[in-house]
Parts: sequence; structure tokens; C-alpha cells
Amino acid sequence: MRPVCIIGAGKTPFGAFADQDLRSLALTAGQKALKDGNLEPGAIEAFYLGNFAGPQFTTQNHLAPYISTGLGMMGIPSTRFENACASSGSAFFHAFTAVASGVYDIAMVAGVEKMTCQPTARVTEILAGAGDCSTEVKAGSTFPSLFAMIARRHMHDFGTTRAQLSSVAVKNHENGVLNPDAQMRKAITLEQAMNARPIAEPLNLYDCSLISDGAAAVVICTADRAREFSSKPVKVLGVGQASNWLALDRKPDITTFESVRGAAQKAYAMAGMKPGDMQFAEVHDCFTIAEIVAIEDLGFAPRGRGGFFTAEGATRRDGSMPVNASGGLKSKGHPVGATGVAQLCDIVQQIRCEAGERQLKRHSVGLAQNLGGSGGTCVVTILGGY
Amino acid sequence: MSERSGVVYTETVVHLAPERFAADVPYQVIIVRLDDGESLTARVEGERVSIDDRVVQTAVRDGITFFRKANT
Repeated sequence: MRPVCIIGAGKTPFGAFADQDLRSLALTAGQKALKDGNLEPGAIEAFYLGNFAGPQFTTQNHLAPYISTGLGMMGIPSTRFENACASSGSAFFHAFTAVASGVYDIAMVAGVEKMTCQPTARVTEILAGAGDCSTEVKAGSTFPSLFAMIARRHMHDFGTTRAQLSSVAVKNHENGVLNPDAQMRKAITLEQAMNARPIAEPLNLYDCSLISDGAAAVVICTADRAREFSSKPVKVLGVGQASNWLALDRKPDITTFESVRGAAQKAYAMAGMKPGDMQFAEVHDCFTIAEIVAIEDLGFAPRGRGGFFTAEGATRRDGSMPVNASGGLKSKGHPVGATGVAQLCDIVQQIRCEAGERQLKRHSVGLAQNLGGSGGTCVVTILGGY
Repeated sequence: MSERSGVVYTETVVHLAPERFAADVPYQVIIVRLDDGESLTARVEGERVSIDDRVVQTAVRDGITFFRKANT
């Protein structure tokens, strides 16, 4: 397997953009990634697109060539990957395997979602399609309700508290204030976070990530050619993807994600590293409880202690293990199909020391964790300094 | 149908639902560990239930299985 680098990264701001359609968002991100890597479109040999539900949100299908042709990348294989919220993480994993194995030298991975064109009830219904529609969704489960059931059990088994859940939201909003591309740049108090209107008990509005439009793209390249294009290539040290049941009721224990542990194990093994070697992370905080479970499954906090670890401040920017310095899905926004690649862009920014006011002191090894559904898919990627 | 029963493994009360369930909110969803070893996502009728409560099946309507708290 050949070493692989990220040589270009670019994303749109996340938010509600009435004047931007799915393609214009993806083209903006793709063009930024090309420019960042000093690349002509003709240099790209394959295009991998992560998108969850473009056809349902916008009616447009056949999305990958729709975007690659718009970027001027003519004739190359262009394929869409769909793995719920881990769509672009999965696209990245497969692009990595193709470049690492020598099929291509240079490939682009993009992620995009256009969500705000639908009313909230319809968005909720589309997102529920990431669960098992023949069982849990049929019974009336929504995505917030699946994570609410995880939260309830985590609270029951480990003594995780309402305030600890909210401490995730407070921290991520605080970080998002410093991110010019974040959708909700607004600090919130613990009291506000604890007392917002209920969505699925015990989760309230401030436990949930946002409904967003946005896109992100990276260009990856075999390491031996990376410096032809970039003076600041970022190395892919490890990457792993794993799967599990879609339905929560099939899992013996819902307070841990086997797919997260599986993907992390593979990524750590490839990198020859352990959790303690990570200096910062972007994790999939689609709901506050998801961040708590993620930091446990990734090995940053002991099992059952993720809430305590967060409330003690360990995951703040000045803590021992900064998590979601970008603001996370919670504050930055969560255009579902774009999220996995957007996390990589955030890590690239930190590693290159380009994160402005939210720049971390220790920033040479970062981990991204991209979760699909309630754990049906997970992709973990470890990036390192050039 | 024989009466199925089990124990509540986890629960939530849904306040924001897709349109087809909008008329039902707030409604409680549970994962039940059935006595026969199976596991099921279901709805609750009547009194709200908590983790470890015993529940019995009351009905199946429109493909949704309903449980209520068992009389103790």
C-alpha cells in the first residue's frame, strides 16, 4: 500500500442558502479544493461523491457526473456513495483505497447536502430513512428519538447527567463562535442548553445538530507526488470503515457503537498509533450524546465516563483532548453528506496552522470520526503533519 | 395472538415527528426485551414507562406494536 496525502481542501460555509442549489454548493467546494492544491481539473483521475439524500431533498439524481462535469473533470469515473451521515467519509475511504493501491495517483472526494429546501417535518422523515424503515422507523422512531434512547440508557447505566449532555452543546457553540464558516455562531449558557424545548426526551433542541446546506472537498494524491502540487501536504496516517446493524433494537448494548470501535481499531492499527497519540479530534456530534459515546469508543475517555470527561473541560480547546474545535455538527452545521469530508477539511486547517482564533496548540495529529445513522456505518481517519 | 410481555430496555417521548405521526405527539417509543429473547421497538399506551418496567402487548395497529405497563 502506498502512502497517501491530502493536497487540497475546500468547503463552503454551512447554513441556509436559498440562492444556492446542490450543484453550486458542490462546485464551490470542489473549485476551492483544486485551487488550494494548485491543480487543474484535468489532473483529477477519479471523482468520489458523498451524498445522503439529494434525490429526496432536491429531486436531482445521478449526482456524481452532474458535479464532476461542472468542475471540468471530463471523462473520469464519477460515483456517488451513500452511507447516511457517513456518506462522504465512506467516499473518502474508497478513494483512499484506490490511490493507496495504485489505481489512481490523484482523486477528488467531495460531499454535499442541500437540506433547507424542505420543511422540518419532511427533513425528519427523510433522515429517518437512515434507520431500519421496516421496524424502528415504522414504530415512530425519528433520529433524535434513537439517540434519545441511547442517552436514556447511558444515563441509566453510567450516571450520565442532563447537565453533562448540555456541556457538549455549550462547548461546541463556544468553539463555533470562532469559526467564520459555522452556521450558528452563538454562545449558549448551560442553563439555556438544559431548558430548551424537548425534541425527544431527554434530548432537547440544543442537543440536536442543525439542518444545513453545504459542501466540502479534498484532493488526495500518492505521497511521492504530493509536493508537485502542495507545499503543505497532510498525510493520511490511518483510515478504517466498519458496519453494524441499522436498527438499535438489534444491538445487545446501545451505549457503545461497535462500528466506531471497529473503524477506530483499523485506523489506529494502520497508523501504528493509539488513542493517547491523538492530539485533537473532530467527532460526529449529531446529538450531544453521540459525542459522549464517541469519545468513549475512540478511547479518549474510559467507558461510561464521557459525560464526566466533557463536564470537567477535558474536550475544550484548552483541555487535554480538544474535541470539535470547529464547533462540531452542533454549531458548525450538519449538511449530512458533506460532514465527513468537512471534518477532514477542519483537521487539515488545524494541522497547517490555518485555523485562526480556534487554532490549537497541539495540532500535528488529528482524528476524524464520521458516523452513519445510529451506528450502521462508521469511518475513522487519522491525519498527520507533513 | 398470545400476549407478549417483556422489560423496557430504553425509552423516549417524541415531541417532533414526521407528518404521518404528527397527530400522535407526544408519544412514547420503547425498545422492549421480550421474555422470549426477542427485541422490539414499540409504542406505549397509557401511563408512561421507565427502564426496567415490565410491559405487556396490547395491540398491533397499522404495523405498530403497542405495549402498556404491566399490572403488578
